[in-house]
Amino acid sequence: MIMAESIERTETESPAPEEESELVRRARKGDLQAYDDLVKRYQERIYATIYHMTSNHEDANDLAQESFIKAFQALKSFKGGSTFYTWIYRIAVNKTINFLKQRKNRTHMSLNDIDFNAEHDTDLIALISDNTPRRAAGLTELQKKLNEALLKLSEPHRLVVVLHDVQGQSHEEIAEVMNCNIGTVRSRLFYARQQMQAELADYLK
Amino acid sequence: MNENENNFESLKRLLAFKKREIPPPGYFNNFSSQVLLRIRAGEAREPVTAAERLFSEAPWLLKFLQVFEAKPAYTGSFALALCLVLVFGIVFAERPDYSASQPLVTTQVADNSTPLVSVSPASPISPAVGQIMLAPDNTNPASSLQPVASLFGQQDSLAQQASFTIPSN
Repeated sequence: MIMAESIERTETESPAPEEESELVRRARKGDLQAYDDLVKRYQERIYATIYHMTSNHEDANDLAQESFIKAFQALKSFKGGSTFYTWIYRIAVNKTINFLKQRKNRTHMSLNDIDFNAEHDTDLIALISDNTPRRAAGLTELQKKLNEALLKLSEPHRLVVVLHDVQGQSHEEIAEVMNCNIGTVRSRLFYARQQMQAELADYLK
Repeated sequence: MNENENNFESLKRLLAFKKREIPPPGYFNNFSSQVLLRIRAGEAREPVTAAERLFSEAPWLLKFLQVFEAKPAYTGSFALALCLVLVFGIVFAERPDYSASQPLVTTQVADNSTPLVSVSPASPISPAVGQIMLAPDNTNPASSLQPVASLFGQQDSLAQQASFTIPSN
């Protein structure tokens, strides 16, 4: 299943607020079936965010699972001030940032495979063949360079780029997840893009 | 400015490539079941360890320790500070202070020949009461008849035989 398609699918099939609150209510009472439904709804987005932050599938797997476990254990403290999705996103993001601080200077990339259809993405192929001096550069090399450039950003800057430019979230949603104001999100995004631009200059000429 | 925006557009298109990275096939089929398994395993694990209970009751302690994990330099500084406190503690503990030059009060007490209990013959206290006062904690009737001071080898100085006269009404 293509992640991009799956994200679109989950977004279009996003549950009605009542339904989600009902699932949360049941899960708070210890109903694991209800919690299973909640996990299935958000697992792909949570995993993808953590994966893009860590550039490591195994770490993303562990952190995503731990985030859902921690959320279940902390469900009683969930007051409903925000949506369950924002709340669990915050848990996952905080967990990931703490993890990244601990593993600083011990970066090890374990990248996922590239979707087969990427080879037929005309935009992407044009970007590589037209703008790259090294025309032989394959998608795998581009993937590696892209992840390396992301890992050079600080965690808050990387998070903003991942949530906005990769996950497609709005400034407001990001501000809510990161618990900061929209101006901070915008300035971080601008600075992070500038830095990424310098790192990937060869691919952006 | 426009050129900059165009460059950002190119960057955004490049970043969209990240969406093409996909986990192994079927990865999400088992994800939620693994989460639930771990939740059940956690619930079955009783009781909660002392460390977990401590961290849940005092989350600041966990944050404090996480600072050390994130910044090893802090760990070194904290350990150094602890060592200094320990060294100063030992140095100051070994310094002679003024109280050592004064005679110990306990010595004076030990030399005092005043009996712990003295019962005057004219006292209205009965002999039984006097024995109880000599050894208030002793429940053994046989040993309670012995003066307490004999335990310390100072039988003569701490307890004296007394004769009682029961006042006749």
